[in-house]
Amino acid sequence: MTATTMSGSPPAVRSASRARGSGGLRRSILAWVFLAPFLAVFVTFTAVPTVAALGFSLTDLRGTDLRHPFAVDVVGLDNYAWLFSDGRFVRDLGNTAVFVAVGVPLTMLTGFALALALNTGIRRLRGVYRTVFFAPVVTNVVAVALIWQYAFNTNGTVNQVAASIGFAGPNWLGDPGLAMPVVILLGVWRNFGTAMVLFLAGLQAVPEDVHEAAALDGAGWWRRLWHITMPLLMPTILLVSVLLTVFYLQVFDEPYLLTDGGPLGSTESVALYTYHQFGFGQFGLSSAASLVILVLVAVVSFAQFRLLRPRT
Amino acid sequence: MTRSRHASARFAPGVALVAVLALTACGRGAESAPSSTSAPVDDEPATGTVELWAPDGDAAALDDVLASFREENPDLDLQVTLVPADEYTTKLQSAVAGGAGPDVAQLYTESQAQFLAGGAFAPVPEGLVDGGSFFPGAWESGVLDGIAYSVPWYSYTYALVYRSDFAQAAGAKPPTTWDETIPFFEALQGGGAGKGLGADVGWDIYNGQDVTQYLWQAGGHPMSDDGLEWTLDTPEMVDALTYNRSFFTSAIADPDAPGFLDSQPYFVEGRTGAMMTGPWVIGQLDDVAGEDGWTSEHVATAPLPAGAGGSVGAIAGGSWGVGADSDNPEASWKVVRHLAEPGTQVAQYEALASLPAVRSAWDDPAIAHEPLLDAFFEQLEDAETYPQVEPWAQIATQLGAEMEAVAKERQTPEEAAAAIQAFAESLGTGTE
Repeated sequence: MTATTMSGSPPAVRSASRARGSGGLRRSILAWVFLAPFLAVFVTFTAVPTVAALGFSLTDLRGTDLRHPFAVDVVGLDNYAWLFSDGRFVRDLGNTAVFVAVGVPLTMLTGFALALALNTGIRRLRGVYRTVFFAPVVTNVVAVALIWQYAFNTNGTVNQVAASIGFAGPNWLGDPGLAMPVVILLGVWRNFGTAMVLFLAGLQAVPEDVHEAAALDGAGWWRRLWHITMPLLMPTILLVSVLLTVFYLQVFDEPYLLTDGGPLGSTESVALYTYHQFGFGQFGLSSAASLVILVLVAVVSFAQFRLLRPRT
Repeated sequence: MTRSRHASARFAPGVALVAVLALTACGRGAESAPSSTSAPVDDEPATGTVELWAPDGDAAALDDVLASFREENPDLDLQVTLVPADEYTTKLQSAVAGGAGPDVAQLYTESQAQFLAGGAFAPVPEGLVDGGSFFPGAWESGVLDGIAYSVPWYSYTYALVYRSDFAQAAGAKPPTTWDETIPFFEALQGGGAGKGLGADVGWDIYNGQDVTQYLWQAGGHPMSDDGLEWTLDTPEMVDALTYNRSFFTSAIADPDAPGFLDSQPYFVEGRTGAMMTGPWVIGQLDDVAGEDGWTSEHVATAPLPAGAGGSVGAIAGGSWGVGADSDNPEASWKVVRHLAEPGTQVAQYEALASLPAVRSAWDDPAIAHEPLLDAFFEQLEDAETYPQVEPWAQIATQLGAEMEAVAKERQTPEEAAAAIQAFAESLGTGTE
């Protein structure tokens, strides 16, 4: 038996394979070098804190343990059990569900309607409108929330306008039934620009000739929208819905800045609850609450990918 | 459900993480008890480097207040860091946890327990200051198990601040008892105020502390004498909640306004006729009104109305602690000693109207000649200390939320008392 037969391939092939192998190794090393900065940031600021939070959530780590954070008791799943026995946390889960159930479709519809208008209806000053609609995304949320707070005060701009046409405005931020819609409205206002830009990119990728062919066959605007545009836009719809769902599941800025979770806890989200627990020095408990959010985000995102992915 | 500090380990296999493995290897038994005092501090000039942290606000003028100390201690590098007040506690927690805490830190007198109980700060050295020279509540707030860990800097308590012009127009005198309170606020409304009382309605920890104040006035206490049990579901607590509710059900206060930041403009504009608030307003109302002398012409003060337990206030303010891990405790304590001196505290009053915690500083003409502060001084002499246990801030915050539901008639005072007791018991006292 020769060396050739032992290796199973002729020398020329082996040589090429080695060349490919060393080239592949170089490419592989290069890829890791390019990935290294991201991985360093990811490991430092995401992976390690997540693993640490999981560890902390199984302990009774509190503010008084700061000097000896590793000298705490392991309490197993007690923190999770406590969370689900705490009426405030359960209420906040419900509040977060409302944020998602109302905020996601409202933001998507607003973004989609504007994208559609920019893509088909608005011909002049399209760039200006696009910039104006996107402005809330890049505006400082703290400043915006303060303006909204003044606008929705009992004597704020909104009620002054209402009074000028003969209506007595309600106490928007003091009424548990009205505060949530205002907070969601701020969330929609901040996010519809992102949805609009993504939808606009998706709409512009839909081939014009398909629309023209359908129009020649007698399909009206609504039919073309429903049977051509929407199916082709499904990957964008999926992307936008997942991004928005993740945002609303973790919603924090809007309720924190506008109402701090009030009145009567009607706008406190799970993320805000987590923040409050952290402030109380309940590090084990807040870690458990943050992991509940993580699991919710993972489960809901997975479900959305399963339900909305385009069928082939 | 009670969250026991010594619950048995019920650790699900499969989630064995490095961090948790490290945790299981340790236990609280490994912690050592602090010694009763630190080494005495001499009178030599301070040397080396001292890093000092304080929240902005009352500490904003610290560089000016410490100017003379810097001159007297030229070999000391005193680095003052002001942290935004909203983030201060969280940043201090993180720094201490990371072993990077400052040498000297300001602690909020009313909520310092979580730091002191955790051993993050060193005991006050023997003979550094005379504990008896401070208002009793201010000093006692920094004492845990008989050991002092912090030194008071400024103190405040609430008193009744009202519009004297409205009271005069109505011929009303400030109330001395709970029974006289609502009629007085109604009289202020008759004298021109939109609402008799501007209650700070953030429905947060401050409202919880207000209720606690009323609890003391009703003759109750939030904890048992031995500090081992919460005593929040009591007839006195029901009285306190009912008294607070009466401000809203009697329509002399609005449950939705003003918030903390609006309280002074509302008061100056006459939309409210009174506040139960701290002494800082005395130095600020002229600015809000945009008129020098407005306060002396329009405002009067009085101690809080007394319930069955008397006219009791709550002590709050700022104190100084030295980190247990400080590299330069000797110089750090010298800084704290300077901040505790009457002259320094008067300088702080002159800079930012923070009232001294050391009683002799009140004899200084700068303070003694301000009659509107008399009610605060009187109230400081009868001010209780909030429970010095770690879960207090969380319980007071929840009490504020329960009070909101009572004020808006979503639950009865009895239900709120039962709810806050159950909540407090679920957290424990932090001493188990």
